[in-house]
Amino acid sequence: MSSPANDPRQPSTAKPYKPSPVAPQDLPIDYSGFIAVIFGVFGAMFRYKICSWLAIIFSAQSLANMRNMETDLKQISMAMMFGIMGLMTNYLGVGPRGSKKT
Amino acid sequence: MAKHSFSLSPLSSFLLPRGDTLFYLIALFSILSLLLHHLSPVSAEHRHFEGFDADDIDDFVDPDEPISAAQNLPPPLPTTTLSVSDPVESHHGPPPPPSDSATQVTSQPSDPKPASMSFEEWDEDEFEGIPQSPPSDSALITESATETYTSSESDPGLKPELELESERPRSISDYTVEIVCVSFLIMFVINYFTGKKENENVALAWASKFATIDSIFDKNFSLLGVGETDDSPLLLKEGQNVFKFYASGRRFCQGLLATMELKSRHDLISRLYNMVVPCKDEITFEVYMNDDAMDHVVVAVAKKKLAKTMQKEITDLQRFASVVSPPSGRKWIADELAVVAESKEVAGDMISETVLDQLLNCHSGVLYASGDLYLAAMEVSNSDCWWSNATPVLKVFGDKAYEKFGKGFISMHLSDQHQGSHKKMLVFKFAIPDAKNMADMTRLVALVPYYIDLIGRYKLSSHARTKTEGARMKVAQEIYKELQNARQEALQRKKAEQRKKIEETEAKLSAEALRKKEAKERARQMKKAMPKMKMTRAG
Repeated sequence: MSSPANDPRQPSTAKPYKPSPVAPQDLPIDYSGFIAVIFGVFGAMFRYKICSWLAIIFSAQSLANMRNMETDLKQISMAMMFGIMGLMTNYLGVGPRGSKKT
Repeated sequence: MAKHSFSLSPLSSFLLPRGDTLFYLIALFSILSLLLHHLSPVSAEHRHFEGFDADDIDDFVDPDEPISAAQNLPPPLPTTTLSVSDPVESHHGPPPPPSDSATQVTSQPSDPKPASMSFEEWDEDEFEGIPQSPPSDSALITESATETYTSSESDPGLKPELELESERPRSISDYTVEIVCVSFLIMFVINYFTGKKENENVALAWASKFATIDSIFDKNFSLLGVGETDDSPLLLKEGQNVFKFYASGRRFCQGLLATMELKSRHDLISRLYNMVVPCKDEITFEVYMNDDAMDHVVVAVAKKKLAKTMQKEITDLQRFASVVSPPSGRKWIADELAVVAESKEVAGDMISETVLDQLLNCHSGVLYASGDLYLAAMEVSNSDCWWSNATPVLKVFGDKAYEKFGKGFISMHLSDQHQGSHKKMLVFKFAIPDAKNMADMTRLVALVPYYIDLIGRYKLSSHARTKTEGARMKVAQEIYKELQNARQEALQRKKAEQRKKIEETEAKLSAEALRKKEAKERARQMKKAMPKMKMTRAG
């Protein structure tokens, strides 16, 4: 570093950063989102409130780990909707009957 | 409600071939089943409504205990109390005969028709499980229904009892699930922000240590950061736990990309998981070498176990390299580490004295034997390596250098045959220490520019070169053959498909012709047979 001849820097060869395009299928699989969807469906279908709660929690995790806004948000919002729907039917008794049956 | 907006989006996404169509399919299916689930009780209710709403009242009162509900219901008629008094009996079996006679008594006795009708319509199975529903009600359907309902509501003695029953389960223990889930969610949210901050702090500590002015990267690269200008941000954040640092403008290489993969501190679930399965903050340096600046070098250094898996899994190591046994009579890397290399010569040259001194040092007790032998490798770095006159700290290492400073070392992979877009690449993987102890990895980071220079100047001996060239030619040929085979297979498959298609179309087109042909054939056969007949006849 003491002498300029030893300077390894070469500003002329500098290339600006180009983010390498990543194919959507190469992205890490969003397991939590998948689990959230499954729990959400189960919770809404069979009215297990624990399932709906777990769906909400996992969709929160998925939301926290989100990297790609467009593709992930769709899935997460769906899982969220399922979870919320399950909870609504559970607690507000949207269904005509059996709302108290859990 | 939400259902409508929901069912619309899957429909629109069905038109687009997307990866998440599956999820929408599942969603649609479940919504359908939900709808069915909602509809079925409604239709069932309509059926019940025909005569026996005691069932409905029953539901409102207490769904869990039909028997007690039956007891709570007001006695409808003095004549029917017989059946009510025995709740067990009332659940199953046909209604007791006295109620039948009661029907006739209470309903118009002059007109026996409705009574007999009600008797005919009586179905045992339909009313199974209904605690109390005397057929006598059927005569005065609506009246009795409203009466029983209002009486059950207005009954002052019953009301507190009902409320008690409905309030009894509302203790804290019944809301365990909700309490746990909500508190977990709150914790999750809090942890998200604190963890995010923590990760950012680690990344910033790293950047301020190694990428600011007069730091190691600033002295080696002319362009730092992900932008084009000088004052561009140094770090690029990808997700909450991945940070990228880019540097470019150095001899021998096109650029360097460091990817920090930190622990998922922002994610409470992974945090809990990491308590069971601990993991480290990792940083991966990828140095893209110039095409003319890297000779045939395939070397990897890692802990023994990891080195073996690398040798098996990474294709270029698999193709060209094998685990190198430590040479006798010279200083070699620590016992825990293993070298996977194309040849011993390359391994020996890459694991030079400087590196050994720097970090992959032997354990105590190893003699410093015959340093002169490997001076050749040293020469490369000695002449004008940037740290030849750097601070003495870099060179002053004790015997236990690896134990001390190598703990952050995970792996190193130098190869001119990398898979992917860039072939000539150096990959270093280190663990990142705490934000406070960032200086611990200074020596590890110093390895990166050192190896860029070492590889950039390194030339294989002619003997080794012929060997490696032969190996590369062989592999290239193999790849070429594979490619060609694959291409040929694809071609053949295409041809076969085309043939099949043509045959199919022919078969379709010639169905008519075939029939005609067959008819002709039959006629010919007949003709053939005819003369024979004649012949026999003649004969």
